[in-house]
Amino acid sequence: MIDFARVQKELVECSKDAEGSGIRVIPKSDNLVHLIGTIPGPIGTPYEGGVFQIDITLPEGYPFEPPKMQFSTKVWHPNISSQSGAICLDILKDQWSPALTLKTALLSVQALLSAPQPDDPQDAVVAQQYLKDYQTFVNTARYWTESFAKTSSRGIEVKVQKLVEMGFPEAQVRSILEAVGGDENLALERLL
Amino acid sequence: MDDYASSDDDYNYSDDQDSVGDVFANDDLDFPLVSSKGSTTQVITKESLLAAQREDLRRVMDMLSVREQHARTLLIYHRWDVDRLFGVYVEKGKAFLFAEAGVSVDECRDSSSLAYDSVMCEICMDDVPIEEATRMDCGHCFCNSCWTEHFFVKINEGQSKRIRCMAHKCNSICDEAVVRTLLSRKYPDMAEKYERFLLESYIEDNKRVKWCPSTPHCGNAIRVEEDDLCEVECSCGEQFCFNCLEEAHSPCSCLMWELWVKKCRDESETVNWITVHTKPCPKCHKPVEKNGGCNLVSCICGQAFCWLCGGATGREHTWSSIAGHSCGRYKEQEKTAERAKRDLYRYMHYHNRYKAHTDSFKLESKLKEAIQGKISISEEKNSTTVTDYSWVNNGLSRLFRSRRVLSYSYAFAFYMFGDELFKEEMSEDQREIKQNLFEDQQQQLEGNVERLSKVLEEPFETFKDKKVMEIRMQILNLSTLIDNLCKTMYECIENDLLGSLNHGIHSIAPYKSRGIEKASELQVSWSNKANNTGVTAEVERPEESGCSSRKRARKEGLGGGFFDLNLPAEFLDRN
Repeated sequence: MIDFARVQKELVECSKDAEGSGIRVIPKSDNLVHLIGTIPGPIGTPYEGGVFQIDITLPEGYPFEPPKMQFSTKVWHPNISSQSGAICLDILKDQWSPALTLKTALLSVQALLSAPQPDDPQDAVVAQQYLKDYQTFVNTARYWTESFAKTSSRGIEVKVQKLVEMGFPEAQVRSILEAVGGDENLALERLL
Repeated sequence: MDDYASSDDDYNYSDDQDSVGDVFANDDLDFPLVSSKGSTTQVITKESLLAAQREDLRRVMDMLSVREQHARTLLIYHRWDVDRLFGVYVEKGKAFLFAEAGVSVDECRDSSSLAYDSVMCEICMDDVPIEEATRMDCGHCFCNSCWTEHFFVKINEGQSKRIRCMAHKCNSICDEAVVRTLLSRKYPDMAEKYERFLLESYIEDNKRVKWCPSTPHCGNAIRVEEDDLCEVECSCGEQFCFNCLEEAHSPCSCLMWELWVKKCRDESETVNWITVHTKPCPKCHKPVEKNGGCNLVSCICGQAFCWLCGGATGREHTWSSIAGHSCGRYKEQEKTAERAKRDLYRYMHYHNRYKAHTDSFKLESKLKEAIQGKISISEEKNSTTVTDYSWVNNGLSRLFRSRRVLSYSYAFAFYMFGDELFKEEMSEDQREIKQNLFEDQQQQLEGNVERLSKVLEEPFETFKDKKVMEIRMQILNLSTLIDNLCKTMYECIENDLLGSLNHGIHSIAPYKSRGIEKASELQVSWSNKANNTGVTAEVERPEESGCSSRKRARKEGLGGGFFDLNLPAEFLDRN
């Protein structure tokens, strides 16, 4: 049986500090079993500026069993599946402790974004790239952040559209935008 | 540290509780109190499981001056390897040993929160009265209901043997007394499960102890003292190889046996049936099925032939003349034969002989009954010269034992001289020399086993005393001879064949003249039955643990009941 009283308290606690940490947890429905967490991409990483959504499902035994967390925002990271958003993080598995909370767990996920562990990968392709071609990894991660983790006004689609309207072929625009990490001006320079 | 001395203390202490006369008058105690040290293997039953681990627990408790629960946590962490545990202690010190295994011994008693009436439980985030919260040895304090749920979840996850504290990154293992107490209040079934898991850790996590592989399971486990490469018989009658838990298969190594079993299973049933169950009579070519123990078979047409090679033979072939009996020798097929075909023939050659001896063994098991009948008839004759017939049974045991050795020796030879395992090990010439050496010994053994089999089938109950004495001498001589031949063959296998391997290690269970060792019962010298399921950690009832409760415990058995793991050690500590 989920301890809803505790979940309720956690939500209150989390919202108090939402401005400071940037971490938010809101119920997806009204039963508190499904929640949505959001974390800002850590500063100084390819995820900077992005806002990442995480689907949270509480198991029956919460808080004695770990919450199930999965990125619903696509993210390019060695320990997060680029397909499903599954997260490889010890505290969400055997290192979970009932003394941890949704907020501390999300903080750990945020820390994972800043410190990838390519030796214990969830996504082998990403991990390979991280180890062998770090610059490409950074570019791809930044491009994905631009494409999926930013609000649409600043989103990549707008930039693509703009450049296509300037007369460049769409496929080329997309690949160059990806290569330069979504920077519109850099992309234009390259295209010219 | 002398563990025997410490266990003696146990017994002395318990004797003090009883009157001495009572102990000896007790008809339950028709066995020695001290577990038998003569045998190297012991049966651990549900009843003696507690006693079995006591010695290890006590050694650790005495050495490190810790309570039983801490000793258990340490031992579980080190998989009940006391020597390894002490090694870590000597090398890295007590603090490391404890920290590594998650034992906290009253280090961080923080009394500040005790000043208040209530504490805030960080798990449920509620304020709870101080008496409804529990502080573990590591110093972390949470409310009882949160602890209980934590234990419940962990045990369900199968982690009952090492339940860690709820605090993040705290490696400390929860006090088993607290787990027991709190669980039994809300989930008595779970508490019982927990109790059983703790007890059975001694079997599950211990390389010296294994469950008997019998099906349906007899409930016993076997403990070996030194070498885990041995064959053992459980008190339920199951004989098995302690190393791989398959049937006893020496002189095959475990790997050879695994491959052999798989191969036998994979070969087509039809081929098996034809090659294994029948032999064409060399004269009339009818398939002949064997229904008697010895390997000299007579077809209804009157032709005698050897069951092993299928060749027509006089009655001399199989048992009387060893020199003439050469069918156990493997003859290489013509070079032109296709390799696959040769492999199949090769397999069939060994398998047929393996199977022939296994089948003989089964048929001879029937012989046992017949022999008992003969013995009782003989005994009724009240002969003056022959009064004791134990030699018949001894001869029979020798026959059974050597039959098994013989049948497994064919599976052994299949791999020893084949390409599958040892192709790189020896040159063709070396192989041939070794194979000849081995086959000579195998054949000698085989010939004598057949002779013994035949002599044992003699209707000695109808013979005169003088003839019986002759038969007795024959059986005695053959038994000694066969025993020696087995020994020699094992020496050859261990030293000349397996011993000279360069790659890979194939070890076999040693030959034992007396057959597969029957594990001795580990005697329950001290079992205590707790009164009910609501066992608490603090139970200490020295007065009740005397003879009376011990007798009761044994008579009732402990099935379904509770062991109180703490009791004996706790109050022994105080003495």
